[in-house]
Amino acid sequence: MKDFKIACGYFWKYLKQYWLAVTIMIVLTLLATFFQVIAPIYMGNAVTALTKYVAQLADPVTRASASMAAFYTALKLMALYFLLNVLAQFIAWMIMSKFNADATNGMRKNLFAKLQRMKIRYFDTHQDGKILSLFTSDIDNIFNALNNAVFEIVSQGALYIGTLIVMFSINVKLALITVASTPFVLVIALVIMSKARKYLDAQQDEISNLNGYVNEQINGEQVILSNGLQQESIAGFKKYNQRVKDTMFKGQFYSGLLFPLMQGLSLLNLAIVIVGGIWLIVADSMNTATGLGLIVMFVQYSQTYFQSLTQLTSIYSMIQLALTGARRLAKVEAQAEEDLVLDGKKQEGLRSKVALNDVHFSYDEGKEILHGIDLSVDKGQMLALVGPTGSGKTTTMNLFNRFYDVDSGSVTFDGVDVRDLTLKSLRSKVGIVLQDSLLFTGTIADNIKYGKPDASDEEMIAAAKQAQIHDFVVSLPDGYATKVSDEQSIFSTGQKQLVSIARTLLSDPDFLILDEATSNVDTVTEEKIQQAMDAVLAGRTSFVIAHRLKTIVNADKIAVLRDGNVIEQGSHAELIAQKGFYYDLYTNQMVLD
Amino acid sequence: MEILKPHLKNYLGAIIGAVISIIVAAGASLLQPRILQFILDNLLKNDRQAMFNYGMILIALAVIGVIAGILNVYFAARVAQGVTSDLREETYRKIQTFSLSNIEKFSASTLVVRLINDMNQVLNVVMTTFMQVLRMPIMIIGAFVLGIVTIPRFWWLQVVMFLAVALVIGLTFPQLGKMFDRFQKKLDRSNTIAKEAMQGIRVIKSFNQQENEEERFGEVSDEMNDLNIKIGYVFSCLLPAFFLVCNVGITAVVYLVGINVENNPGELAAITSYIGYLMQMLFTLAFGGMTMAMYARGFVSLGRIKEVLDTKPDLTFDPNAPEVELDGTVEFDNVSFAYPGAENETLKNISFKVAPGESIGVIGATGSGKSTLAQLMTRLYDPTSGVVKVGGVDLREVNEGSLRKAVSLVLQKALLFSGKISDNLRQGDRNATTKDFRWAARISQAAEFVEHYDDQYEHPVEERSANFSGGQKQRLSITRGVVGKPKVLILDDSTSALDAKSEKRVKEALEKELTQTTTFVIAEKIFSVMDADRIMVLDQGQIVALGSHQELLANSQVYREIYETQRAKDKIEEGEL
Repeated sequence: MKDFKIACGYFWKYLKQYWLAVTIMIVLTLLATFFQVIAPIYMGNAVTALTKYVAQLADPVTRASASMAAFYTALKLMALYFLLNVLAQFIAWMIMSKFNADATNGMRKNLFAKLQRMKIRYFDTHQDGKILSLFTSDIDNIFNALNNAVFEIVSQGALYIGTLIVMFSINVKLALITVASTPFVLVIALVIMSKARKYLDAQQDEISNLNGYVNEQINGEQVILSNGLQQESIAGFKKYNQRVKDTMFKGQFYSGLLFPLMQGLSLLNLAIVIVGGIWLIVADSMNTATGLGLIVMFVQYSQTYFQSLTQLTSIYSMIQLALTGARRLAKVEAQAEEDLVLDGKKQEGLRSKVALNDVHFSYDEGKEILHGIDLSVDKGQMLALVGPTGSGKTTTMNLFNRFYDVDSGSVTFDGVDVRDLTLKSLRSKVGIVLQDSLLFTGTIADNIKYGKPDASDEEMIAAAKQAQIHDFVVSLPDGYATKVSDEQSIFSTGQKQLVSIARTLLSDPDFLILDEATSNVDTVTEEKIQQAMDAVLAGRTSFVIAHRLKTIVNADKIAVLRDGNVIEQGSHAELIAQKGFYYDLYTNQMVLD
Repeated sequence: MEILKPHLKNYLGAIIGAVISIIVAAGASLLQPRILQFILDNLLKNDRQAMFNYGMILIALAVIGVIAGILNVYFAARVAQGVTSDLREETYRKIQTFSLSNIEKFSASTLVVRLINDMNQVLNVVMTTFMQVLRMPIMIIGAFVLGIVTIPRFWWLQVVMFLAVALVIGLTFPQLGKMFDRFQKKLDRSNTIAKEAMQGIRVIKSFNQQENEEERFGEVSDEMNDLNIKIGYVFSCLLPAFFLVCNVGITAVVYLVGINVENNPGELAAITSYIGYLMQMLFTLAFGGMTMAMYARGFVSLGRIKEVLDTKPDLTFDPNAPEVELDGTVEFDNVSFAYPGAENETLKNISFKVAPGESIGVIGATGSGKSTLAQLMTRLYDPTSGVVKVGGVDLREVNEGSLRKAVSLVLQKALLFSGKISDNLRQGDRNATTKDFRWAARISQAAEFVEHYDDQYEHPVEERSANFSGGQKQRLSITRGVVGKPKVLILDDSTSALDAKSEKRVKEALEKELTQTTTFVIAEKIFSVMDADRIMVLDQGQIVALGSHQELLANSQVYREIYETQRAKDKIEEGEL
């Protein structure tokens, strides 16, 4: 119930600005439904009038006074209501199309903007794929439901209730006969739907298992080929394929069942209504004309009644999906955002030093990662951080530009706590070169100018040259205008890293954080990366997670991190002289990662 | 469609069942208004017995309709599932006959899409065919004929109505299809932006680019919105237009019956049933139009699958080649090779001969053709010209099993398959025992972490081998490579993620345990190949030097240069500079 409220709150938030359109749409839909229910009455009346007319013609006494006037009146009204129905429907749908699309657009844009404002923690603790499914599936489900389900609920609900009222006002007995089977029908429909849902879920799981298998096998085809494993691979495939076949059969069968079953039941109900109607005419000794008109009407009503019942049951699952989606989206909207510190001081330029003062930090409460770290880098100097995997190097890196905030202690720029600086000014002065480099879809120029979109081409080329990527870029037919995306492989991993260094060079930060790790690159590219890194480090205050001995040895200061503590600190010569942990690392060929 | 034919044959029983049941179900729906009319007729005539009889027939029709409908779903699902899963298997079998270049031409990911998403489209096509498409002509023709039988003089009205609806559909549906395609493209684009924004969130935040990202996304989102509204407007016109046509039809029928009721009083009771037929015809037509739009997509998928099935494997082994035990001789005789579609040759006139048990180091920059050499030795590709021989046999004539048994390739990218460690190791030798695993894992230095697990070699390998580090993956991959005691072992940069100490231990163990095995060690760094019997230096697809470390130092200018640059770096790392 609470979940339902949250979901409704979400819809309210995005639909309330369209209240006028929504109201008009609902009123028009109700009107359309009303006309839809009324029209058959006049059709019945027209038939009754004609029957009477024929009877009057047949009887010599009334032959002269027989008139078609009543028929024409009924026919005109029927045509009028048909027309009004179509007109009201048309306007309602036009209005609805607009506000549904607009509301969904608002949801989509807000979701994206919200994600941009959220803390890094959220992204580190949630899989990209799951976050992405908010866009690909949840918003989609909501749009579908708004477009189909909402309208259907209003119109079919009104139709259902309207038909009920009209039926009962015309003839209570026949109305009772018409609705008698409803509870039975509902139970059958719900049972089938829940079964279908269950097997459709299972089907989804099996398909994703098969997908996983096929994906792994085909991507590993080189291993399969070079070991001659094709037959084994096919045998494995057959198992997954069989399971997909079996569960999909059940899913398709049960979900396909609803339609013919409801159609059949509708027909059966029709038969009941007719038989019941005939029995009524006889039992209540109605005159034939009235009776015929009554049955003609109820034949229509029974069909309408059943149609709305079928529609209402079949949109049930659509609505469930939309509610789940809304709940998930509402949950994301409730997530904490980064504090922009709009009233904070502006970080203008680094004057003396950057420091970590007695910093304690944990990702999860109770599991402290950093236990009181003190580090400082003077302006223009380089601090190299070394230590084994899991010592807290990357974590430390995350604190400078507030990807994470300390538990206690402080990170300061010229003595000012980073939490007292406006976030924007802080980040504009802090640059990061990450180990994994990512390219955004767009041109190479867009990617290099990413941090400074208004940079001139000359500035961009200068940065690219310093980053050792210019020659490669100009060798491409479209040069800097070449379109790239992260998936397509114009650039190797190493070259991507060069682009990301060029990006940082162009944005010219005061203080630089650099993760030196380079993975899987050939010697030539590695050489280039190192030159590029040297270029970006030159003359800048920097904090480097060092992997190369040259960097470490050349650093102004080296800090050795181990299990979340700084265990040694000093220049290369000093640390060697200490004959401590650093000395061991150094003499053991520096196996760092 | 033709690729479905052979599979459809296997489900003839179910197909006949589906066809019969759909005819029965359609027949039941078609007869219903007619029976209704008879009942009303007899109501006018006050013939109770006849009314009762027809009432019973109506109930029987309903029951038959339900049963036929359920049977139809059952049979249609059987056929659809059977045919699709057979076709999927056929396609997968076909893919397994492909060479590496066949697969690369398609790309692995599109093959996966064809096996999963396109197959699901095919499934829908088959299902729709046996549930709706076959029903359509029966319903339309049936309703048309029965309508004429009911009130013959209105035949022209039916024709006019049919044409009116067909016209509306014919005019709007192709436009709608185009709009949907455009929408799909925008959707893909917006998803890409969202994905990149998730993956690159640190970059975005550290460059303060949130607002620009929002703008980028907003633009696409607005474009999607415009399209959505347009599509909505088209539907808002389309559906009322359809209902308008239907309503005009109904009104016309009542009017036409009314003005002529004196001459044809019998038509009064026929009104409801006539309108029933008219509506059945028009609704089937409109619904059919939508079905056909979806159907068209399914045919695109069928075409994409056919493309896979029609592809000829460009490298096959002679099934009649005799099984022989190959020794560790490897010979390249004037081999040149260019990747399919590439302009330049990756390897040019390579000739060398290696004796069993010899160790060969291969070095050269990226793109010098080192890995290609390995792919030719394992016959993942055939040379463009020249001959590659292993154990004295030309690989074009070798028995596949014999070659796989003799030559083992360990890739830099250590590909493990989800399952268990033992499953992966057995890929190297189907009959390997735990004893063999232990022996091999000692060589690759994997034993030290594998035998740490409680379940040892039965330890699970997760998807994307996420539960192992890069170094562990490489060691397991080397284990798989040596477990079958191959005659030729190729390590293609497969120790890149190992630290210097482990790498050294692996090499020592290989030397000690696999004395009869010819080993090729492909590497970027001289340090990794220095101890080999002979070192081959590749540069732009050609062998520029071949000899022992000492010989090359003395005779090869290129080798000396590489050595000097790498040594200079080593020296820095040793702190001498």
